[in-house]
Amino acid sequence: MPLFRVRAVCGDLPDFVRCLSMTHLPPIIACLLFVAAGEAQTDPQVFFEAHCLECHDAHARKGGLDLSALGVEFTKAENFGRWVKVYDRLMSGEMPPPKQPQPSPADRAALTTWLRGSLVQAERQKVAGDVRTGIRRLTRAEYENTIRDLFDMPGIALAGELPADGSAHGFDKNSDALDISHVNLAKYLEAAEHVLSVAVAIQPQPPTVKTQRISLANPHGFVAHVLLHGDGVLLKNKQPDPDFPPAAEQMHIDQGAHERIGAFHNGASVGLFRHEDESFHPYFNEFVAIYPARYRLRTSLWSFQWDKGRVLPARGIEAARLSIVQLTGDGRGGGHPSTVLTYFDAPSLQEQTHEIVAWLNASETIGFNAASLVGGHTRGKSRAMGFTGPGIACDWLEVEGPLYDAWPPASHRRLFADLPLVEFKKSDQPGVRPPPREPFRQRIFMGKNTADPVAGTWTVASRDPQADADRLLTAFLPRAFRRPVPAEVKQAYVEKVAERLQSGDCFEAAMRWAYRAALCAPEFLYHVEGQRDPAAATATQAPSQAAAEIDDYALASRLSYFLWNSLPDDRLFELAATGTLHAPDVLHAEVERLLGDARSQRFIDDFLGQWLKLRQIATNDPDRKLYPEFRPYLQDSMVAETRAYFRELIEQNLNARYLVQSDFAMLNEKIAVHYGIPGVNGSKIRRVALPPDSPRGPFLTQAAILKITANGTTTSPVPRGAFVMDRLLGQPPDPPPANVAAVEPDVRGATTIREQLAKHRDNAICAACHARIDPPGFALESFDVIGGFRTRYRSIGTGDPAPRGSIDPFISIDFKLGPAVDPSGVLPDKKTFSDVRELQSLLAADSSRLLQNLAERLAIYATGRELLFSDREDIAAIVAATMTRGGGIRTLIHELTRSRLFQTR
Amino acid sequence: MWRQYLLSLLLIPAGAAWCLADDAAQPQQFQHQITGLFAQERVQDLRELFKTLPQFKLVDVDFETAEATIAYDPAKAFPNAKANQVVEQFDNLLRNASKHTFGVKPLCTLDSARLKLVEIQVIGLDCKGCCLGAYDAIYRLKGVEYATASFKVGKVTARIDPEKIDRTELETALKQRGVQLQAAE
Repeated sequence: MPLFRVRAVCGDLPDFVRCLSMTHLPPIIACLLFVAAGEAQTDPQVFFEAHCLECHDAHARKGGLDLSALGVEFTKAENFGRWVKVYDRLMSGEMPPPKQPQPSPADRAALTTWLRGSLVQAERQKVAGDVRTGIRRLTRAEYENTIRDLFDMPGIALAGELPADGSAHGFDKNSDALDISHVNLAKYLEAAEHVLSVAVAIQPQPPTVKTQRISLANPHGFVAHVLLHGDGVLLKNKQPDPDFPPAAEQMHIDQGAHERIGAFHNGASVGLFRHEDESFHPYFNEFVAIYPARYRLRTSLWSFQWDKGRVLPARGIEAARLSIVQLTGDGRGGGHPSTVLTYFDAPSLQEQTHEIVAWLNASETIGFNAASLVGGHTRGKSRAMGFTGPGIACDWLEVEGPLYDAWPPASHRRLFADLPLVEFKKSDQPGVRPPPREPFRQRIFMGKNTADPVAGTWTVASRDPQADADRLLTAFLPRAFRRPVPAEVKQAYVEKVAERLQSGDCFEAAMRWAYRAALCAPEFLYHVEGQRDPAAATATQAPSQAAAEIDDYALASRLSYFLWNSLPDDRLFELAATGTLHAPDVLHAEVERLLGDARSQRFIDDFLGQWLKLRQIATNDPDRKLYPEFRPYLQDSMVAETRAYFRELIEQNLNARYLVQSDFAMLNEKIAVHYGIPGVNGSKIRRVALPPDSPRGPFLTQAAILKITANGTTTSPVPRGAFVMDRLLGQPPDPPPANVAAVEPDVRGATTIREQLAKHRDNAICAACHARIDPPGFALESFDVIGGFRTRYRSIGTGDPAPRGSIDPFISIDFKLGPAVDPSGVLPDKKTFSDVRELQSLLAADSSRLLQNLAERLAIYATGRELLFSDREDIAAIVAATMTRGGGIRTLIHELTRSRLFQTR
Repeated sequence: MWRQYLLSLLLIPAGAAWCLADDAAQPQQFQHQITGLFAQERVQDLRELFKTLPQFKLVDVDFETAEATIAYDPAKAFPNAKANQVVEQFDNLLRNASKHTFGVKPLCTLDSARLKLVEIQVIGLDCKGCCLGAYDAIYRLKGVEYATASFKVGKVTARIDPEKIDRTELETALKQRGVQLQAAE
């Protein structure tokens, strides 16, 4: 920069600038250098002096910002970040404050154009030549899904054994969050060994497929105990079992005697009046899986109304939950680890048989929960004979399996193709060590199913180990590494196999060594993204973009890890191999195919788990006095609603307005009753049209989101408002100052949170941020901590008696109704709303902002990197293209996958 | 032959008795006391159980004394048993086959006149499992020769050796098992 220009400009500088030393070139002067260079249509100095410096100079420093001292060395991260904030405040119109004189639109545009250009230029210089998406390992979920798909073992449990992933920029897929340590490596080794032990067949014939019919009242279980005490009954022909009269003033004695005499094995159905809780975990533990495999589960369920010994028609369709229970540890203190398998309907007095095929790992059994029942104990003086209320009957559970499509199973064939299984005889192979074996056996004493006896040790035979090793690894490594494997890499593995064979390993053991090494190799554990040949790239992309464009295999992985959270399938590999995946029509078709595949549910679960924090749904249990109606079934229904809603948005290609406002909801009976929406029966989630005045439907008012943003006892507009700003609008508020105490809501009902916040906002330091954060939260005060609509706060202190409303009649109500909720507010742009519906309309009116935020979230998730300031152009282009084509979210996904952001490293 | 004869002799002090003449074609018949016969309906259960034990034939059961006549060849049924182990092994076999609801014990050696019948009024559910539970609570107590339990009629009975046990101990055992005793009128 020529000096004379600086001197020429300095003549016009204000006094506060003149006094600064030229050796410490102040930022404003630096701005003027750009002005002098003719890079803006207006003079930034004049602009800042006219509109900014009064509050943001060295003396005032409002918001901690001193523009007069803010350097324009944009390559310095701190400066850069502050200028981005300045830019954002100017762009949003938040600054200058409305009460201050406003710049003309042209002046504002000129300044922001200059600032944007400067920031982009500085940032691009900084990252020039860098690979934007840092090399990153698989997340735990990606690892588990990759193994599941690679070996066709769709339920093998691995993620829980690996160290937890971190999170950066809102997701765990960023390399900043995916550190690796010796602990990870040790766990990867263990996991690989476990995977291979499950994948490899060790017997010549498949295990016998057995069908086992199990009563819920199986020995050693919880259910038998509660039957004795009257929290359930045995039923035959839909009447009380005459051999096992319902417990009355006298209960049954001696569970062991009943089990020995066969009281629970006489074909009777089990009718329960009680759902699962901390001290009651019904398991079908006469079956405990021995072989990790698929099993067909069938169960017969119905519901009834129990009236002191009589079985009557039920109040409606009840719901029961099946879960997979891992019988590890002692199971005390909350039961064993379990995952929800599904919810099934239990119609009134009409048996309904349900069937599902599920993968079970060794030592896993099936758990049962009479989920829609709200009652706990029925142990009044007269026990079951004094109880009137709903019950769920389970006739039986049938387990059929293990099921294999062929033998050896696909997992084995992926490793050893068509090589035969033969008996290993040491006499035939002197000096060769047998393969490692841990025979299958029933490890849980309650399990009545047993393993097949297998005579001898069976292993894979190879007549030409070297050639077979080469052939098998040639097929396996590219699949595992998600790209072609250089010959020298493969050869290294083959040579290791040869070494192991020479050292005395049998063929299977030697190959397992190589496979284990491959599963712990960087090419497997990391996303390795190659660069596309520029010559091929320029055919479809601009030359500047081609420089960093990912190759077809990386694109295949980007797609599959984005939409399946797993490795590419054969079709994607074929397209990558032929170099056609980048073609827009091919890419579009593949995105459609991936979204239509059941594996896309992994994307929905994983993305929502992080974007909307669904993973935190169980972080707190609502206070039982204030929210006695809360049950796990309600929580599971909340999560199911949010997931189903997002799937519906994608499938119907609905626009971003639906993130905050909707004319339908995805509901089952449980969540519909919770919302006060009639006419929805059963446990299955389905699309339900909403009345025009209903605020329900979108993420904004879904119970899951409202629960996640509350603390289990109280709500506060601050975290909810911050959630809306950050997660839905893409405008994350700054963290609170360190020295300001948090506002604690008053559960006694004396003051409302709004009243407390009003005092808080009297503090000028707090007021500015809370003016932005609180308004959406005020509107959401219409919903309690479990997402129920309210007009008054619940109180455990003073207040009026609470009406029952939609709360189940078997739940006792101890809370009272406290102060009224005021859901009104004023947005920073002075638009007012009186309730949540009006807020929804205001937010929905700016659907491009909602779409832009979703585009940003999807981009971060899909690319595994943070978005830079200079990426805003790409996001804007994606949003604009999406809006041009109707603004649908499915369209957004398409536009993202064809964008430069997605297709570059 | 001599081995069977010897076994039979040894079984007498063990509480069993051979009843009929030795017949090479037919197994000998022995009398044992059966545990688990707490109600009349259990006789049929016992018959069903013996159908699953091909080496044994249940010839007769006397519910009143809980004594059964059973035909079997000890040498075949318990080939490794010493003579004084046969009852014990038979007990184990029967218990395992019946999920520990039936068993065998030596015949009562006391004069029936010395036995005292105790009847305890109880309240409970008319349920076979509960009856077994009540029966289990007392039948193994020292001095109890045999017992019955029926909540249908509301009564637990025991024939006891009064020198070894009394009514109070029986009632205590029942209460500890959760059996509600009917208050004396």
